[in-house]
Amino acid sequence: MSGYQSDHIKKAISERNNRSLWKKMADWTRDRPEGGIAVMFIVAQVVCVIAALAMPDQFRYLSQPNIAVFFKAMAPLGIMALGVGTLMIAGEYDLSVGMLFSFLSIVCATLTNDWGGDIGAENASAIVPFVALLIVLVLGALIGSAHAFITLRFSIPSFITTLGAMLFWRSATLFYHGAVALRYKPSEPFFSMFGGVFLDLFSSSIIWLAIMSVLFYFLLHHHRLGNHFYAVGGNKNAAIAIGIDPARTKTIAFAIAGTMAAFSGVLAATRVGSIQPGGGAGMELQAIAASVIGGAALTGGRGSILGIVLGTALVFTIQDVLLLIRAPAYYFDGFVGLLIVLAVIMNTAVRRSKA
Amino acid sequence: MTNDQLRHPSAGDHLPVDAPIRGSAPKETPLFELRNIQKRYGSFVALKDMDFYINRNEVIGLLGDNGAGKSTLVKMISGINPPTSGEIYVNGKRTEFRRRSDSEAAGIETIYQDIALVDSMSITRNIFMGREIVNKWGFMDHQKMEETAADILGSAVQISGIDDPRKEVGFLSGGQKQAVAIARAVHFKRNILLLDEPTSALSVRETEHLLGYVRNLKQEGTSSVLVTHNLYHAYMVCDRFVVMSHGTKVFEAEKKDTTIEELTDHVIRT
Ligand SMILES: Nc1ncnc2c1ncn2[C@@H]1O[C@H](COP(=O)(O)OP(=O)(O)OP(=O)(O)O)[C@@H](O)[C@H]1O
Ligand SMILES: [Mg+2]
Repeated sequence: MSGYQSDHIKKAISERNNRSLWKKMADWTRDRPEGGIAVMFIVAQVVCVIAALAMPDQFRYLSQPNIAVFFKAMAPLGIMALGVGTLMIAGEYDLSVGMLFSFLSIVCATLTNDWGGDIGAENASAIVPFVALLIVLVLGALIGSAHAFITLRFSIPSFITTLGAMLFWRSATLFYHGAVALRYKPSEPFFSMFGGVFLDLFSSSIIWLAIMSVLFYFLLHHHRLGNHFYAVGGNKNAAIAIGIDPARTKTIAFAIAGTMAAFSGVLAATRVGSIQPGGGAGMELQAIAASVIGGAALTGGRGSILGIVLGTALVFTIQDVLLLIRAPAYYFDGFVGLLIVLAVIMNTAVRRSKA
Repeated sequence: MTNDQLRHPSAGDHLPVDAPIRGSAPKETPLFELRNIQKRYGSFVALKDMDFYINRNEVIGLLGDNGAGKSTLVKMISGINPPTSGEIYVNGKRTEFRRRSDSEAAGIETIYQDIALVDSMSITRNIFMGREIVNKWGFMDHQKMEETAADILGSAVQISGIDDPRKEVGFLSGGQKQAVAIARAVHFKRNILLLDEPTSALSVRETEHLLGYVRNLKQEGTSSVLVTHNLYHAYMVCDRFVVMSHGTKVFEAEKKDTTIEELTDHVIRT
């Protein structure tokens, strides 16, 4: 059959492609959850910058140390959120990533220290920290796959599997290491690559977040596998009917979440120079919060990398502002809580007005 | 006896006795054949002693009451619902049908009764879901997919109001969704097209168009199985009819050997 009836579709497509840049941006902010959150983010930045310019002495938002700290602090949660958000898009949760963050960074530090990769060791090995990192990244993937296996083999909600896993890995951390802090000062060039700061502004970790965000962007939005994440998360039965294997796809997503938890843990530990065994507690919820603020749906099938990154940045903007105005630390949770609800109300409103 | 009497028989009516199953054995090696199929869901038997075959260049009407097992059979032919026991032959060769890829290899496409689209994805992504146009590293060619989607949407069924292949399927009307599912199956079909109540949400004009299309497919060498509750539609386009009841075949005949009254009789007398 000929394609002659396609003319009106082709015309509509070309009209859409020929919209002015301004119109495209406006439509994007209206139609996409990450567009809405981008507006929110920009408004927040503009307000902060104006406030900083108006009161440079009281509100040091634009001071060099503040910006440097902002970048440093944001990276671990951002990297964890990339994994958690991807898994949410595929329709599953991992509540254990906070505990894996602690457990795997402790494993990494222990291996590094035992094998002579500490910067203070005699003839400190340059290779060992890299090997240790590689090992815990693989371990993260294996543990994630194990969560996937249990979830999918017995068809139970991943919320339950990983709630159990969260408690399990917390015990495992204390069993393996105890409750004391652990020194982690890896040798060069590892330290500069993962914990360094350059131009007094950019930490290596924010560069890693940028690199990972770009990789995830191409994986999720341009690669076949990413498309399958959306499909199995959006409608598992439709995915099966069309020949996508949900078990395989979801297992990969779980493995990615585990790997990113490990990487995030090592990055944070490198920056601080030591590890508190309970340090990752609560991060799983922050990572889910960042994804949700960025437009990920709790039911799966929706979300974007830009949204996850902006969601994380917004959470840290709140934290930063509260620190700068010397608000008590407990304000933070309250504001993030409000932001989550507000963001979801906004996304739902967008969807309802379109339907 | 009138149709109305058949539909609402009263105690005094004399209903015809079981007609023999006519034309139940294929004359040549069929394109696809199920033999002696059983399907259980736990203790519930959804299909039993089921034989079914699809010849080259034919349109089969698969009929039967609600819950007769038609969709179960369709899903089995699509590979996503493997039989508990029985044999499956493709071109006379015994084949395992355990997943979608098995039926894809046999050139089978399906329009599922429950549509099988992902609401949160765009029309284009739904059409190419699982069959994305990718380069050798697996990265998608969005532009090519979108252009093809525009062609497909304009050709298979003319759907009112769809002019943006980027639109999310969740925002479409029921008929538009069905049209997308049809367009997808039609685009990828090779040997066999299975249509499980494909017109349930379509307008009269679109229904006519689709039925005419199924009729034409035969000439292009694609056989179809049409599941429908509308016996007039079935009678219009099908060459052979299979009537199911309670998971088994109760009647089978070629069009030339039967009438619409006889088909009606077998469908309602379950
Ligand atoms: N997954 C399942 N588990 C248990 N029973 C099932 C399952 N799927 C179908 N059945 C049962 O199998 C029988 C046949 O269902 P099927 O969907 O094949 O009917 P159908 O002929 O397509 O009916 P309709 O015309 O209403 O679509 C029904 O009694 C149904 O309840
Ligand atoms: Mg059915």
